[in-house]
Amino acid sequence: MESEKDKELLISYLNNELTAKEKEAFEKFLAGSAEMRQESDEAGHIWEMMGQLPEPEPSAALPVKFYAMLDTFKASEADKRNVVKELWEKFQQMWSFQPKFQMAYSLVILMLGLGLGYFVNEKLVKSGKNEEIQNLSSEVQDMKQMMMLSLLENPSATERIRAVSYTNEIKAVDKKVIEALLTTLNNDSNDNVRLMTLEALVKLANEPMVREGLVQSITHQESPLVQSALADVMVKLQEKRAIKPLKKLLKQQDLNGFVKSKIESSIHEII
Amino acid sequence: MNSLADNAIMLKVKSGDLDKMGLLFERYHRPLYGFLYRMTGEKEASEDMVQNVYYRMIRYRNTFTGDGEFKTWMYHLARNVVNDYFKKNKVRHQDVSEVEARIGGGTLADEEIQKQQEINLLNNAIASLPEESREVLILSRYQELKYDEIAGILKISEGNVKVRVYRAIQQLKSIYLKLEQ
Repeated sequence: MESEKDKELLISYLNNELTAKEKEAFEKFLAGSAEMRQESDEAGHIWEMMGQLPEPEPSAALPVKFYAMLDTFKASEADKRNVVKELWEKFQQMWSFQPKFQMAYSLVILMLGLGLGYFVNEKLVKSGKNEEIQNLSSEVQDMKQMMMLSLLENPSATERIRAVSYTNEIKAVDKKVIEALLTTLNNDSNDNVRLMTLEALVKLANEPMVREGLVQSITHQESPLVQSALADVMVKLQEKRAIKPLKKLLKQQDLNGFVKSKIESSIHEII
Repeated sequence: MNSLADNAIMLKVKSGDLDKMGLLFERYHRPLYGFLYRMTGEKEASEDMVQNVYYRMIRYRNTFTGDGEFKTWMYHLARNVVNDYFKKNKVRHQDVSEVEARIGGGTLADEEIQKQQEINLLNNAIASLPEESREVLILSRYQELKYDEIAGILKISEGNVKVRVYRAIQQLKSIYLKLEQ
């Protein structure tokens, strides 16, 4: 065969799928070429022979087996349906035992409860109870502040550390608290208390007063631990004003060697 | 018209009227058996497979949408069943030399015997075709399906189906001639 198209035409011709017009054209085309005709004849011969093969017949057992299968399937489906039906009936029975008006009654009570709760809450808000709650909460805050300030005076270092940790719980830190913390940072006799205070102050570094206090504190510190921690804080805050006091600290004769190199690198990092 | 009726019947089966499957069994179990037998050459296995195809039709009746023809869906399921069978048995088609050995020699005493010989020869030639060629020949020659229907079953274009049929005929011719010698 010359082309795919010719092959397709021949195959359609064999299966009698050409229209009368197409068939006529194809037969004309075949008549024009002995080679084509031979190929078509051979294919047609095979096609014819195939048609003569006897139709395979299934045994009589096949329908018997099929209908048995169908019956089994139907029975299993019916079983499934029965289970569903039974469940549904039981559910309905359950419902009938529970008088509907009781359910409705419970629902009404529930709705009433919800409504009442809402109403009472609204009234409370309107009558200024909320204001009272706010006042109470600010009183608690004041008490915490007072407790913190008095604890800072405590001779025990542990108590003073506890006082410093209270600053985390005070929502609005005022000037009084900041001053107390800065005083502790500069004057407390215990290194740990000063370190904790520094930590607490860093959290308040948004306050200009705190930043100023921290810068000024640099020259007050004698403990290498606190000096080094302060240098770190200055780098973290990128506080340019700290360079001068840090340089001043470097000039101290008895400065710890480690702290010296730490401060030098901190100055470098701030610049 | 038959096809429309087929779809309507299958939709009834789908909606729960399982007895209607009996109608589709009566209508198609013979051609289905013919397809399966010609594909595998195994009588008993083919009957089991017919049963299997009908079982799948009932079991998966919900997947029949009615958009396509029932016959296409049925042959689609039948092909899956045949593929499972081949996978399990690992025999796809017979070798020509095996077929030759089986035919053996026979005396061509009269016309009837000669005709029987030809039938055997052709049957064996079909059996030794590659599965793809055998399938497309069986579907087009014996299952009374049009090429566009076969294209739907095989999920290829109609042109492709015709090219496959052409190629299958050429292969069959050459195997037949080889067996005849």
